[in-house]
Amino acid sequence: MKPPSFEYHLPGGVEEAVGLLAELGEDAKPIAGGQSLVPMLALRLAAPEHLVDLRRLDGLRGVEERDGTVRIGAGTTQAAVQRSAEVARSVPLMARATPLIGHFQIRNRGTVGGSLAHADAAAEYPAVALALDARLEAVSPRGARTIPAGAFFTGLWSTALAEDELLTAVDFPVRRGRSGFAIEEFARRGGDFAIAGAAVAVELDGAGLVRRCGIGLFGLGSTPLRAPAAEAAATGSALTGIDASELGRTALAELDSVPADLHASADHRAHVGAAIVARAWRRAAEEAAHG
Amino acid sequence: MTGVTTAAARYAGTRVPRVEDARLLTGHGTFVDDVVRPGMLHACFVRSPLARARILGVDAAEALAVDGVQAVFTAADLNPDVREQWYTLIGKDVPDTPRPPLAEGEVRFAGDPVAMVVATDRYVAEDAAELVAVDYEPLPPVVDYATAGESGELVHAGYPGNVAGEFPGAPFEEVEPVFAEAPVVVRHTIRQQACGQVPIETRGMIAEWSAPTGELTIWAATQSPHEVRLFCSRLLGLPEQRVRVVMRDTGGGFGQKVIPQREDMCVMLAARKVPGPLKWIEDRRENLQSAGMSRHAHGDVRIALGDDGAILAAALDYVEDVGAYPAPWPVGTSAAVGMFFPGPYRVPKAAWATTSVFSNTCGRTAYRGPWQFESLARELLLDAAAREMGLDPAELRRRNLLRRDELPYTNPCGIPYDGISPLKTFEQALEMLGYEAFRREQERARAEGRYLGVGTCTYVEPTSAAVGLHATEGATIRIEPSGKVNVYVSGGSSGNSIETTVVQLTADALGVDIADVNTVQGDTAVTPFGGGAAGSRSGSMTAGAVAETATVLRDRIAAIAAHRLEASPGDIELDGGRARVRGVPEAGVSLAEIASAAYFQPESLPPGVPAGLEASGRYRPEHPLIYANATHLCTCEVDVVTGAVTLLRYIVSEDCGPMINPNVVEGQIAGGVVQGIGNALCEHLAYDAEGNPVATTFMDYLLPTAAGIPDIEYGHIETPSPGPGGYKGVGEGGAIGAPPAVANAVADALAPFGAEITRLPLTPETVVALARAADGR
Amino acid sequence: MADITVRMRVNGGPRSATVPPRLTLADFLRERCGLTGTHLGCEHGVCGACTVLLDGQAVRACLVFAVQADGAEVTTVEGIASPAGELSPVQEAFRDHHGLQCGFCTPGFVVSVTAFLRDNPDPTDEQIRDGLSGNLCRCTGYQGILKAVRAAARRRQAGRP
Repeated sequence: MKPPSFEYHLPGGVEEAVGLLAELGEDAKPIAGGQSLVPMLALRLAAPEHLVDLRRLDGLRGVEERDGTVRIGAGTTQAAVQRSAEVARSVPLMARATPLIGHFQIRNRGTVGGSLAHADAAAEYPAVALALDARLEAVSPRGARTIPAGAFFTGLWSTALAEDELLTAVDFPVRRGRSGFAIEEFARRGGDFAIAGAAVAVELDGAGLVRRCGIGLFGLGSTPLRAPAAEAAATGSALTGIDASELGRTALAELDSVPADLHASADHRAHVGAAIVARAWRRAAEEAAHG
Repeated sequence: MTGVTTAAARYAGTRVPRVEDARLLTGHGTFVDDVVRPGMLHACFVRSPLARARILGVDAAEALAVDGVQAVFTAADLNPDVREQWYTLIGKDVPDTPRPPLAEGEVRFAGDPVAMVVATDRYVAEDAAELVAVDYEPLPPVVDYATAGESGELVHAGYPGNVAGEFPGAPFEEVEPVFAEAPVVVRHTIRQQACGQVPIETRGMIAEWSAPTGELTIWAATQSPHEVRLFCSRLLGLPEQRVRVVMRDTGGGFGQKVIPQREDMCVMLAARKVPGPLKWIEDRRENLQSAGMSRHAHGDVRIALGDDGAILAAALDYVEDVGAYPAPWPVGTSAAVGMFFPGPYRVPKAAWATTSVFSNTCGRTAYRGPWQFESLARELLLDAAAREMGLDPAELRRRNLLRRDELPYTNPCGIPYDGISPLKTFEQALEMLGYEAFRREQERARAEGRYLGVGTCTYVEPTSAAVGLHATEGATIRIEPSGKVNVYVSGGSSGNSIETTVVQLTADALGVDIADVNTVQGDTAVTPFGGGAAGSRSGSMTAGAVAETATVLRDRIAAIAAHRLEASPGDIELDGGRARVRGVPEAGVSLAEIASAAYFQPESLPPGVPAGLEASGRYRPEHPLIYANATHLCTCEVDVVTGAVTLLRYIVSEDCGPMINPNVVEGQIAGGVVQGIGNALCEHLAYDAEGNPVATTFMDYLLPTAAGIPDIEYGHIETPSPGPGGYKGVGEGGAIGAPPAVANAVADALAPFGAEITRLPLTPETVVALARAADGR
Repeated sequence: MADITVRMRVNGGPRSATVPPRLTLADFLRERCGLTGTHLGCEHGVCGACTVLLDGQAVRACLVFAVQADGAEVTTVEGIASPAGELSPVQEAFRDHHGLQCGFCTPGFVVSVTAFLRDNPDPTDEQIRDGLSGNLCRCTGYQGILKAVRAAARRRQAGRP
């Protein structure tokens, strides 16, 4: 199980990297931690002619809090996110999602940007980005742009990134006020891709009503998903007036094509998914109510 | 045999650290892929992507043009060179099923090897394998063995109804009257999914041909180097002494590596056609699609019981999937499923039959307790019967388990049990749990909407079967001129700690320090013939071989020592590396002095005593089988919303006789148990409806991890076997007891829903479906 | 495809080689450095048998290309024991608690546990199980491994090396 041949490129900066991507076109793939890409190469499910290694792009690594936003560089490893006190304090949902990704050896290599750009529908970070309305910064030879998470995941393993565009950072809003966050997933074994998962962010207003509710679902569609009807049902209500199980059923009722594979049928995913949304909601609401 | 003895055993029965560990912990083991030979070439197989198709042509031109490619072989190149192809393990005179090295004319499962690419490295070989163009004409596959009989298609011409073979067993007519009149009859069709052995080291082999000497040297990942040698010599028509098979470390086998398979045959056949040593290291995808399927079977099972819960009769109609190319011939082995179906219970009458059925899937191969369906079926049925009768399943078993005073006992299929303790292991396991307390806890939990369950499995297991390849075991012990000891046995260790075992037993047998004993195993050029690591035989058989051989040396040592000490040989005992006169500890002579005399001063030896201190012996058991038994008990909590099964406690009470090394015994049990847990809950070598394998990576074939299994608790009952040292086999049982214990625990947890478990694996989805169906949700 | 020269320190010593970009770090270590203790059990990043320390962090050597490790410090299982062969505390604990049987997965466990206990000196049992869950073993049922890790953690806490 050996990867096919490729030409290796090691740009020293973002500009050079996107220049290479522009020049090489669809035959090139950027590689960061490689924890998703290399297995695909080993299985020969992908055979790019060029790999553009991002490891020298030091500017893409790090966590920085500024003006109510936490910016996580795309090249920041999941292990670094797990260790970051800023992330734990200001973006607790990211902090809680991270230990669920693979195993610690994977998190030592895997990056935030890699996980988002790979856009696996069953992965944790994309759902977190959706639940928190994260904003993704991308750079191409044409310059930089910001893509809202809601517009980033466009299809199965595909994103709004152009061929010559590189994800450079993700901005998350700093938690504020009375808020609560939870991520729940159900997988066959710890570290496996989830059969169903949900990331919930809830924020209360001064009167204790839900000001904002973000629900990101994973493992339940061909892309990571929001649950707008469930979010709308929660928004404006008092926590005591929201039935978690009902919310879970609402979230799942919105989905039109829940995937099926060896590990779970669509029906089972939907059944478990509703329960998982409810569990995540309960924990997030509990935190928002009691801190 | 004289009365020369050693002082009390110092090492047998103790947790001696393993002699294997220093090299394995530091990365200095020698697994087959670690062997590098000058000029070595690498093989990669081109495998069928289709479950069944006619091969219209193979075009290797593009592959041969790749820089570094040496050869591309097809069936026409290799298959005609086969001289004889059969396994010593099963013997020549069975109606064996087809087994061509490369697919000839037709591919019969997705993964069937069609061509072999040989190149300067594996990367290049894989590149070239992608370029071999095979022209397939798809044929309708027979994917489901259970309906293969009605399929109009045949996996192999010449096998009508796709039946590979049948074993008629004991006729059903004889039990029908009992079933007709019994107060209670419980009947289910129990189904078990396909699983793989999945050693973490895949299969692999290096074959190096020396044309000038006519010698073939093979390095193999194998459980039985001597079987590889015999098989290869027959396959190629080479004299046995011209084939040498070497293995040092094999990274797990569990049955997969007991015999060479088709790919190994290809490597052997190609070795003489390529300019350098040829290495094939299977990758994980190949391993999961081609190295062997097991467990896949179903059975129509029945038990008849009296009003008092006494078993009156049992019947099993068993059908197993043997895939396209089973190895070895599966039909004979399937008989054990029927013969052990009554288990360690008082069963007056039994009937059984087995049928082995071909399908266009991966061939059936041996896997740890290959007959274990008998326990799965029986134990699920007993729990079902208990539920139906409103009896506690423990009580039902108590009424039927064999007691010590009933032994020897011949089961209705003719198996003569002795030296077993099923009721004792059962009671010990229940006591370790605190069964009654658990039942109360279960009751309380149910009131809170939590679902706990307990399940057991009690089985009796045949070990150390002494027939054919496995009929005898040899050992050579060389006490070297310095007095240090080398002991040679056939080996084949793939994790069973047989090096440590042999060193322990030899040190005790000769009364020497364990540090003074070394063992050499796994090289057919220097070790005595032996059957290898299979059938839970290594402990008992090797103990016999060491004892047989050491006796000869002890007598010789005693004769020499007695001569020197002017004592009677019968008064000599060996201890601490010295021979001394019993009762006169200060009168002694060291083994080094005796060895020196034996080799360097033969004139000083007493008359009639041969020079040297080297002996070979061969153990031939008096008993064709040694029976071991155990009870597995497991408790679990089931999340009826997600279907997650959390195992809470896992208890094994086993009787393997005296333990040579409790660490090794418990390690074997634990390894088997966790495989069995995987078989019960998450592993599935699955195919889709078209016959495509869908679990060909470790993301889809789910092995248990450290996070999902409980601590295993061990209870030991010690009933000696009639074999050497009273030892019994212990390698396979763990994998036999776990699937039924886990399934029964889940069924017990789901009892409030009226659920009956008749099918594995218990995936979350299956569990939820069981709870929902009864719940009406 | 153009070969590339890589230089790294492996188990403390300099290593350089010119390699095809697709050569994995695992194959580089096994074939170019002769360090065959790094085992390949799946080559797609699940089994963990190929785990090595890359700049001190435990990683799957089958999911890293040798060219990506250019300039890095690599420690393989061969670099865990002392040069004289004295076992590390983790290795000793595995030996003392029957933490290995066939030994094929063992190098990956030894390397992973070495990094895990360095970063989690006082782990709970749940953390130990989670920390071990990225390495597959088919022989031991994990029982001896769990005991070994608990013992090695206790020994660290007791202040012994």
